[in-house]
Amino acid sequence: MFWSLGVVAVASGVAVFVVDSMARATYALAVSFVAVGATVLLLEQDYVGMITVLMMIMEMAVMAVYMIMFMGMNPALMPMSMVHDHRRAVVAGVATFALLGAGALLVPWPQRRGAPDPDVTMALGETLMGSKMLVMMTISPVMVATIVAGIVLAAPRGRYDRFGDDLRGRRADDPQPGGVGR
Amino acid sequence: MDVRARLTSAAVRAAHVLVVEAPGGWRERFAAERAAAARGWTPAASPADADVLVVCGAPGDDLAALLDRVWDQLPGPRARAQVRSPTGAGQALAEAAALLADERHQRRDARERRQEPAPLHGDMDHGGTDHGGMDHGDMAPAGIPLASGGPDRDGLEMDVLHLSLGPVLPSWPAGLVLDVALQGDVVVSAEARHVGGPTAEGHHGLEPPERAAYRVDGVARLLDLAGWPDAASRARRTRDVLLDGDSATGHRLLVGLRSRVGRSRLLRWQLRGLGPPGRPDVHDRLLRALARAVDDLGRDAGDPGDGTSEDGGAGPDGLASATVGLELAAVRLVVAAADLDRLPTRREVVGG
Amino acid sequence: MADVSVVSPAWAPAAALLVLGGAWGAAALDGVLSGRSTGLPGRASSRRPVDEVARLMRQRRRTTVRADGLLWRVGGAAMLVAALLMVVVVPLGSWAVADLAVGVVWFNTMDVVVWAAVWLAGWGANSAHSLVGGYRFLAQALAYELPLMFALTAPPVAAGSLRVADIAAAQDGLWFAVWMPVAFGVYCIGVVAFSVWGPFAPAAGADIAGGVLAELSGVDRLLVLVGRYALLVAGAAFAVPMFLGGGSGPLLPAWTWVLVKTALLAAALVAVRRRVPAVRPDRFVEAGWVVLLPLVLLQVLVVAVIAVGRG
Repeated sequence: MFWSLGVVAVASGVAVFVVDSMARATYALAVSFVAVGATVLLLEQDYVGMITVLMMIMEMAVMAVYMIMFMGMNPALMPMSMVHDHRRAVVAGVATFALLGAGALLVPWPQRRGAPDPDVTMALGETLMGSKMLVMMTISPVMVATIVAGIVLAAPRGRYDRFGDDLRGRRADDPQPGGVGR
Repeated sequence: MDVRARLTSAAVRAAHVLVVEAPGGWRERFAAERAAAARGWTPAASPADADVLVVCGAPGDDLAALLDRVWDQLPGPRARAQVRSPTGAGQALAEAAALLADERHQRRDARERRQEPAPLHGDMDHGGTDHGGMDHGDMAPAGIPLASGGPDRDGLEMDVLHLSLGPVLPSWPAGLVLDVALQGDVVVSAEARHVGGPTAEGHHGLEPPERAAYRVDGVARLLDLAGWPDAASRARRTRDVLLDGDSATGHRLLVGLRSRVGRSRLLRWQLRGLGPPGRPDVHDRLLRALARAVDDLGRDAGDPGDGTSEDGGAGPDGLASATVGLELAAVRLVVAAADLDRLPTRREVVGG
Repeated sequence: MADVSVVSPAWAPAAALLVLGGAWGAAALDGVLSGRSTGLPGRASSRRPVDEVARLMRQRRRTTVRADGLLWRVGGAAMLVAALLMVVVVPLGSWAVADLAVGVVWFNTMDVVVWAAVWLAGWGANSAHSLVGGYRFLAQALAYELPLMFALTAPPVAAGSLRVADIAAAQDGLWFAVWMPVAFGVYCIGVVAFSVWGPFAPAAGADIAGGVLAELSGVDRLLVLVGRYALLVAGAAFAVPMFLGGGSGPLLPAWTWVLVKTALLAAALVAVRRRVPAVRPDRFVEAGWVVLLPLVLLQVLVVAVIAVGRG
């Protein structure tokens, strides 16, 4: 099972660069990620595996939105080269693979002592985050605030454009009004 | 073969009809829609969905050529019907149903029809299939040129797609073609033209009940576009009752429809603010059309009522400029709302 | 830990048949309701599913120039597949096809598969109206998905587990739908939205010539239409252990109650199409983010406080 998932993941990863159509590349990438998520499921990390699959499918769907937004040429019907700086990329990729593969094979991993915890996810969480649990919980709203702040900073029209110089405009002046009028 | 016959009759019972109105054929269209609903047939949303193509009225040459292309797109089994007069609608549909059920006819049709789409324009006919394999480096796969880019309203570059809306589109004014340039689904430029003959201006001369029925039909089309099929079919039933001449029931149904549509806050939320600024928006036009229909019912025979639109008659160019900057759903609603103010002109009443 | 016996995979086709039967019932109900509004007799319109299936099976398939066949057909079939996979975790009484420790997340994943499915169905047809329909669905999905995800976390917070059977068992006495009404309401909105149904059907709307359905005919069209109904039924079925107490109820055995509750909720969701006009994605986006999301977050806060208070 593990090997077949691995083959699927690598094959669809290769397909991302081989197919002509951007839409097919996007969804080949999705298949690759789903295979990786299924591999995580095999490691009995149920929650992490399912969330990986969920997030990856959603991300590929959202990538389709950006694909049309930013690709200048019709990205689906013309053959196109997806790689930039071909030679250096190949060298970097092969070198990284060799390094990590050598590490995986040659490092003396410790022997397993005892049996895994019945609730593997909880045990994994506690080991990873342990005493820093409170810090991790504070980080996520900070991350959300950062994302929102980034979007606000990047938006071309600010509060003063939308509500007027004294911020007293009743209705926001948007080219495309939202449904609630805020 | 009894099973096959039963399946065929079941399939014919649930046929989907694509009703096309030639300019001036509005009476025929009302009759055709009524006959189709009486048979339990559903209106088709697109040619791929349709089994029966019903042409109402007399199409001109250009519209007839377009209708042939639409006919090619019906997947089959398919049947074509021509409704030349309101009373002939039932008969035309019955003949279409018989053709649909006729297996031999359908098999022959399947053998003899075009299997490939017809070329778009004469000069782009590159001789077909041998060109399809050679489109590397050629910016036109399958003979259709790729979209080129242009700046969009945020200043980014985005592909521009040229699309022709109409004349065969459900709930679309007859004979109107709106050539739009789309970026995403936002219209950046639009041009309107007419197919199937120009409409003449002039006094309409419809009797009040027929006027009310025409207005209610416009309301039904707008409600269909607003995604409320129940209210739309209610409006169409009201229209049929009004056409029958039954004023008492018609008035009751119409008042009921008006209050139902006016009460719907969700509809108001969706339709408010659509349309050129400073003019009544789509929701206001909808309510105004219903109010005028009720008003028409209260008039005596021969009373011309108020004239055509009070807006000063936008006309096709005004319509095209009103749709720039809107996205497709808003364009459909604005066009349908603008159509609410129109009454059929003299040429259309006489029967085009 | 509630008791659920996992049946052998040989029973999975039976679950699929149940979903398809539910889809049939939903289609028949929709036919009857639409027949009532056009003035047709009820018996004739209750035959609508049979007639439509016969018509679509008889209709020939078609394709467009340079359509992306693989993506198109995969997208069309994926809706039905997602619906069938959704019900895999729903316990029918004390039997379930699969008893996942993260059943709620499984359901969430399957409803995200619908994102991909509808967009692929819109893209593959190489048609302007179809593509606009696919993108409309994505815009709408971005608005309803986050509220739906948070609404799906409220019952697990109250029950202390992501396992569907545990959540069903934690509702003895008081159904979650009663004291988490906002979460239940948002969940129902989410189900109607991912089924491209009723007020959330602009992706297949009449104003874009049928949207994602514009270029489909024959068996392909049948697959997508069945997929829509199946998603409605699957969403209703999942609501039963999540919000409606699972199989609990007097007199009848648990599995009957699950079916009855699914049928009632599915009927209510089908009937919603009649009452309300469509909600366009551009008008819904702000409502989803500015109204629904804070409401659901408040709901989850209330549930969490109660759960902590209970011990």
